[in-house]
Amino acid sequence: MKTRKINLLFGEIAGIILSIIVLLPFLLVLFNSSKKSADIVISPIKPPTNISQLFTNLGNVINNQNFSYWKSFSSSLIITVVSLALLSLFSGMAAWVLVRNKKKWSSVIFMLFVAAMVIPFQVVMLPLLSTFRSLSSFTGIQFLSSYTGIIFAYLGFGGSMSIFILHGFIKGIPYELEEAAWIDGCSPEGTFFRIIFPLLKPVQMTVLILNGIWIWNDYLLPSLMLGLNGRIKTLPVAVSSFVGSYVKQWDLILTAALLAMIPIIILFAFAQRQIIQGMVEGAIK
Amino acid sequence: MKKRLLAVLLACMLAAVSLTGCAGNNTKNNTNGNNNTPTTDDKGSTSKGNGKAIRLVNGKIEIDNQLKSFAAAYKEKTGQEVIIESLGGGVDINGTLKGYLAAGNMPDIFVFGGEGDYQTWKSYMTDLSGESWASQTDFGFKDADGKTVGFPYAVEGYGITYNADVLKKAGVDPKSLVNYDAYKAAFEKIDSMKDELGLTAVCSVAAEAGQMYWSTGNHIFGYYLSAGLKRDDTTYIDMLKEGKVDDQRLGQFADFTKMLFSYSDPTVLISGTYDDQLALWAQGKTAFVTQGNWIDPSLPDYNVKFDCGIAPLAFLKEDTAGVLADCPSWWSVYNEGKNIDACKAFLNDLATSAEGQKALVKDCGMISPYKTCTEVPETPLAVSLKSYIDAGNTYSWQWTKMPEGIAQNATGAVFELYAKGDLGKDEFVKMLSSTIADYVKK
Amino acid sequence: MNTQLKRTFSLIEIIVGLCAMAFALYLDFTGNESSYRGILLAAGLVLIVAGLFILPTKKHRSIVNVLFLLPVLLTFFFTVLNPFILGIFYSLTDWNGIKFTKFVGIGNYITMFQSRDYVYSFLITFLYTILNMIFVNIAAFALALLCTSKVRGRNFYRASFFLPNLIGGIVLGYVWQFIFNKVFTAAIAGSQSMLTDPNLALAAILIVSTWQYAGYIMMIYVTGLQGVPKDIMEASNVDGANWWVALKRIKMPMIANTFTVCMFLTLVNSFKQFDLNLAITNGAPSRILQGKAVLSTEFMALNIYKTAIAKNEYALGQTKAVVFFIILAIVSLTQVSINKRKEVEM
Repeated sequence: MKTRKINLLFGEIAGIILSIIVLLPFLLVLFNSSKKSADIVISPIKPPTNISQLFTNLGNVINNQNFSYWKSFSSSLIITVVSLALLSLFSGMAAWVLVRNKKKWSSVIFMLFVAAMVIPFQVVMLPLLSTFRSLSSFTGIQFLSSYTGIIFAYLGFGGSMSIFILHGFIKGIPYELEEAAWIDGCSPEGTFFRIIFPLLKPVQMTVLILNGIWIWNDYLLPSLMLGLNGRIKTLPVAVSSFVGSYVKQWDLILTAALLAMIPIIILFAFAQRQIIQGMVEGAIK
Repeated sequence: MKKRLLAVLLACMLAAVSLTGCAGNNTKNNTNGNNNTPTTDDKGSTSKGNGKAIRLVNGKIEIDNQLKSFAAAYKEKTGQEVIIESLGGGVDINGTLKGYLAAGNMPDIFVFGGEGDYQTWKSYMTDLSGESWASQTDFGFKDADGKTVGFPYAVEGYGITYNADVLKKAGVDPKSLVNYDAYKAAFEKIDSMKDELGLTAVCSVAAEAGQMYWSTGNHIFGYYLSAGLKRDDTTYIDMLKEGKVDDQRLGQFADFTKMLFSYSDPTVLISGTYDDQLALWAQGKTAFVTQGNWIDPSLPDYNVKFDCGIAPLAFLKEDTAGVLADCPSWWSVYNEGKNIDACKAFLNDLATSAEGQKALVKDCGMISPYKTCTEVPETPLAVSLKSYIDAGNTYSWQWTKMPEGIAQNATGAVFELYAKGDLGKDEFVKMLSSTIADYVKK
Repeated sequence: MNTQLKRTFSLIEIIVGLCAMAFALYLDFTGNESSYRGILLAAGLVLIVAGLFILPTKKHRSIVNVLFLLPVLLTFFFTVLNPFILGIFYSLTDWNGIKFTKFVGIGNYITMFQSRDYVYSFLITFLYTILNMIFVNIAAFALALLCTSKVRGRNFYRASFFLPNLIGGIVLGYVWQFIFNKVFTAAIAGSQSMLTDPNLALAAILIVSTWQYAGYIMMIYVTGLQGVPKDIMEASNVDGANWWVALKRIKMPMIANTFTVCMFLTLVNSFKQFDLNLAITNGAPSRILQGKAVLSTEFMALNIYKTAIAKNEYALGQTKAVVFFIILAIVSLTQVSINKRKEVEM
């Protein structure tokens, strides 16, 4: 019994030390965004002496034209929220149709989505640009460097996995539920929106978290579609273009990084369990 | 009957939707292929484009603020808004512009850096020969037919920029630095007096390939291509374009470069950026820095009190007393832009108006390429450079005619390896020449 | 009467919608660049969809099926399927990102395997993938054991280990670049940054990717370990089996499936590494290989990106991407077949 206690104590110490090591980079970011450039050069390890410098740096970065925090924050927010809303709606609709029609075409389409999950972004990114350019000139709707285009792309890329996850869930919903509604004279779309869609809530959580974290942090797709210094910038793109334009002004770069991390850290603090659960479930499926 | 109608309608819709993909591709390929004649676009744009802001992508982050304030004054004067977007030293400007083009976000005026870039962008450039500034300069970028397509905004020059106060204390005459042996003696002397002079190293050089390739692979290597030659002498650049180098000359260049690296601050040399390099020198910790007159505007940031000037990067045993001076890059007007006339007017104002000349010369600390310019530079390095230009003692920037991206994608890495000591002199010469040969072959 | 009205109304809607779309397309073909063209097209589509929705017909269910599938299929077609097929096609041409002039057959593939930088990138990616797979899984499993034991504060540890995984690789990459270039060099005075040495730079990326990814994989192990029935563990305790034997003989075999999942997950994700690679080293520093300089930490995803975007060789970049895809497809097929075999065994 005694050895177990000692073991536990040992585990606790290890846990604390490891947590500190893992969190240290975040602490360093916080420390150094509260310093002047010259103080970082002198020592990047020392805690800051003057916390008010943090606000000076924050002000500098927020007002910086190449970073423009509020603008890129709202761009990221718009893109993420709209993509997520449409993804969960459209994927739910499609998955439901695919489950409830046991025909050859439905299994072919489903297999297509499953197979597409293997396709890495790199193999489609270059032709994607030319496809979207064609699409813009054909329809007259701007697909590149526009919200429409990037949300459209996220629907395309996020669709496969969302449908896969939702498909598995809907399969488990008893068909009798729908039949009852059907007999009551409910239209098919009514059945879906009134009965099935509300039932999807727990699994939609997984879909939202998985896609949300991905879209919020994605760099390559927005950097290609919106450009590094385009009209619309997401936060990762803004950080990256900021790093490029200010050759290694670490005080401001780290402050920018801090600003880019804060929204997610806040979200994580409030919805820790759901986020971890959502991401793990997504991986296991 | 109705069912059939519905089926037909549905089929039509689906067909239309799926056709979008195939048909769309064709139409776009055509438009892109044939759009080199911008006449039709022009008509449409002049009528509706007026008053729209024009966007200028500038490749010199150092003059960002100055350009922005000129743009603000210009807006007040004419009502035309000009958005200045500056990309800094480490940014891959060409790559960024290609991204813009791909994303349909091409700026109205964009920067290009000479022959190599010209080949990339030539089908997107507007002919500017008719502009009044074009006849007032020798530095405009002309295409094969002699049409001016690039707007010159400054003459720049570089070599080894020195801290004149340190040199004076060490008893080195900057005017004597015209050959390898003079530099050797000077470096040795200053190195032996380092503590006395408050230096940590003799030179501030940065050779990390990822961010400093332009300094080593373009600027320093540029001396190999041009030093000692008449401005229109293209001997070595022509050889390079065929994938060949002059081993003897490159050998001397390698000797000099090795010496330069060995007297440099090691940390900045292998991992420093432009800022680190400049900061080291500007804080008086080194006597030399391998940059040019573009650092003038940054001097006040570091509170530089000492006097300074530019000396030639004279790597040969024989005397070469001139520095490399040329237009670093030109601005071109995007020929599919919506507001070409407003762009032309803006450039004209910048080149010929008193305010424009003042902005370029006084505010940006640059040297105007225009004969009609009456402003005299005030900043120390511009004055130093002007003395070379006035004496006709300059070599041209043949390195701008190197194949596009050669420094970034190929030769910059060789300089980095040399700086780190991974390569000896002979290996450096061998690897550099084979790298050039490979790159050209491609 | 009511249905009749509805039908007329919906038919009108469909027809108006069709006209709007037709007119928009007509504008397109006549080269009219008016800005309302796109809106007209989209409005037409919406009208048709709405019309079809309310059209009273026995085929209503089929219409709903089609309309429900349409948004996903449409976006999927244009963002994945069409570019994918085009991409394979482009890899056989001299495509420059905008247009192509001729077929080159497998010419790009030959050029690719002859170029030193690609072969190197290929090999270094494999090395990185294997090392990363090992490090991440060992770290994750160890952390998972810690977090499923009875230590106090395990929920806090879980959260903090998981946190790095939530932040984007680009942002974290820049932060770590700072740590390697400034913090470590200051902590060990006089040392050169790890990022200037080819081997240490690879180690640096491994450190960061393990740091970032282990917490995520840990949670999957935690889920697996929690699935081990308590009574079995208690029984083993009673039997006097020590901790290590219990782990080796009971826990590990019972979560064999979790190991497979985690292995493949790290394998695929390490192989696709891009963000950290770009932000920490961007391929640097160079290394000498057979008398030539190559970028020592340029993984395949970055190599593809740079070939196309920085070097402007779109066809070659696309070719590399196709090979990249083929490798990943093989990995996935292997995983599927392993899973199938397991199911049969069970």
